[in-house]
Amino acid sequence: MTTYTVYKEQLPGLFEKWSESYALYVPAKLREGFYDLVPWKRDLEIAWDFDVAYNSPKRFLFPPREALITFNRKTCEAEPVFEAPPQILFGVHPYDVKAINQLDQLLETGSPDQNYVRRRAATVVMGYEPLTVSPTAFWASVGAASAAHGYDLYWTKIGPAAFTVEVGSARGEELLSMCGPLVPSTAGDKEGARRAKARVLFKARHNGLRYNWEETPRLLSKSWDSPLWRRYSQMCLACGSCNLVCPTCYCFDIREEADDQLEEGVRYREWDGCMLESFAKVAGNHNFRPKAQDRYRHRYFRKGKYIYDKIGELGCVGCGRCVRACTAGIANPLKVFNELWEETAHEH
Amino acid sequence: MAKPKIAFFDFAGCEGDQLQIANLEERLLDILGHVEVVSFREVATGHSDDYDVAFVEGSITRPEDEIRLKEIRKNAKVLVALGACAAIGGINCLKNFLAENVYREEVYGGQARWFSTYAARPLKSVVKVDAEIPGCPIDPTEFARITKELLLGRSPWIPDFPVCVECKQAGNVCRYEMGRMCLGIITRAGCKAACVSQGAHCWGCRGLVPGANLDAARIVMDRPGTSRKAIQDLLRFFLGDTGAAL
Ligand code: SF4
Ligand code: SF4
Ligand code: SF4
Ligand code: SF4
Repeated sequence: MTTYTVYKEQLPGLFEKWSESYALYVPAKLREGFYDLVPWKRDLEIAWDFDVAYNSPKRFLFPPREALITFNRKTCEAEPVFEAPPQILFGVHPYDVKAINQLDQLLETGSPDQNYVRRRAATVVMGYEPLTVSPTAFWASVGAASAAHGYDLYWTKIGPAAFTVEVGSARGEELLSMCGPLVPSTAGDKEGARRAKARVLFKARHNGLRYNWEETPRLLSKSWDSPLWRRYSQMCLACGSCNLVCPTCYCFDIREEADDQLEEGVRYREWDGCMLESFAKVAGNHNFRPKAQDRYRHRYFRKGKYIYDKIGELGCVGCGRCVRACTAGIANPLKVFNELWEETAHEH
Repeated sequence: MAKPKIAFFDFAGCEGDQLQIANLEERLLDILGHVEVVSFREVATGHSDDYDVAFVEGSITRPEDEIRLKEIRKNAKVLVALGACAAIGGINCLKNFLAENVYREEVYGGQARWFSTYAARPLKSVVKVDAEIPGCPIDPTEFARITKELLLGRSPWIPDFPVCVECKQAGNVCRYEMGRMCLGIITRAGCKAACVSQGAHCWGCRGLVPGANLDAARIVMDRPGTSRKAIQDLLRFFLGDTGAAL
């Protein structure tokens, strides 16, 4: 695909134009050390060197709470509710692009999640090569340093005021050309992008799996009875933070509420998580994962094996968000997988 | 079908929860249109002992409160604890950590011996409670939802997970990552993490979440920069009647 070179001074014009027809989100600093994608406004300072967006991009495609149907109790009629505002996510790091690709695969296959599919179609993803690496991240070691697809445009900062922009879709190219003709990148600019990637990969080496990530499913198969699950899960608060901040977790619960006239009502879904005590509670109050240990182990099997068995990738893209969010200090796929690797060292 | 009759009662508390309900304003008229209110001091005068649902606010702080509460329990088909004081004892339980003569003197001064009082406790320590609408004050939208669920004959649902869930949904930066304390890790959700979203931290006003891991929570809270005293004070503030407060 084509790569263009774009200069910083062109951005305000592009942002202005895009925001006429899209909700535009860009990376900004929330407070020292904390960044997030926030609604763009004129004169907002873009945090080009953000290490990780505090909240994962899934909230734009699969919001924490979303109406699914409205119903009428008298006529017994129901109508689906679809909301899909056109939006541009500018500045999505490659591991988060990979996470979106996973959601696409998992939610669009089989019986497609119509609410997700519609929001996804209305969302433009503009990938962005990171300049820095969050202290808890390990994406480089789980195969999530680059995304081969899933973006409309992919931006790499190659100098103080210049970017290369790889085109990923016709829609992306069209958006990029809204403020005049585009200049294809020179070989030198492309080399600049390659070097930028090499630099950040070098920085990402500080944290990583001690083995090839593709071994993880096999490693877990051997670790069902490891004492590690109990050791760590004793500290688990069953708060679900690790699930909710994860860009690839997509569980939800469904509830209903009637209106104040008790005539109509809405059925909505809300984020749920397998670490919550009542997650596996079914009819008759039976809980098929009653112990913290069962839930804790389940989450790592999900990340390291079950998702892999479905799509050939780890369910963890190494963003490090759960590591940071866990107040108990036990949510940490990198540490867990590495320790299981040590435990089974005599076998490999 | 005749409209269900509902009544509001209060014990030791500030009536802030009934005020929250009154604050529903126009919505209140719609919701209360499905019922007949026989007693509601915040909105109307008059009283009757003929009611189906009793919303009871405040905690039990005197032996004679028990007699009145048991009477209410006898009259009501459904008894709902309204607010932190009724549901979990709430801040009234702070006095349980003081010697009786100290708090009596503090509250009633020279007339202390004219008043009877004992350790503060939630309604459920005295009678069976059918549903709880926790919080200090209650969230009026939760009151509306639970009332509607009762009217529709559904068993009322309140979240059974910690405040952290709603805090993450709201996208807040965790207080612990800012070097602060927060009780969201052991407190029942349902407030949409109101205090954290407004820049403060959770005080635990909605009571302990079922299965709260208190041992882990104490270790999590005990970090450099926080004193044991500060942890104890926070755990006693609303959770005095629970195992969290030592
Ligand atoms: S499991 Fe943790 S590190 Fe892995 S993708 Fe999810 S939040 Fe990120
Ligand atoms: S964030 Fe930590 S304490 Fe909370 S559920 Fe996950 S592992 Fe348990
Ligand atoms: S700020 Fe409090 S409620 Fe929010 S995630 Fe952190 S501990 Fe939980
Ligand atoms: S955040 Fe905590 S203290 Fe504040 S309303 Fe919610 S439960 Fe109560």
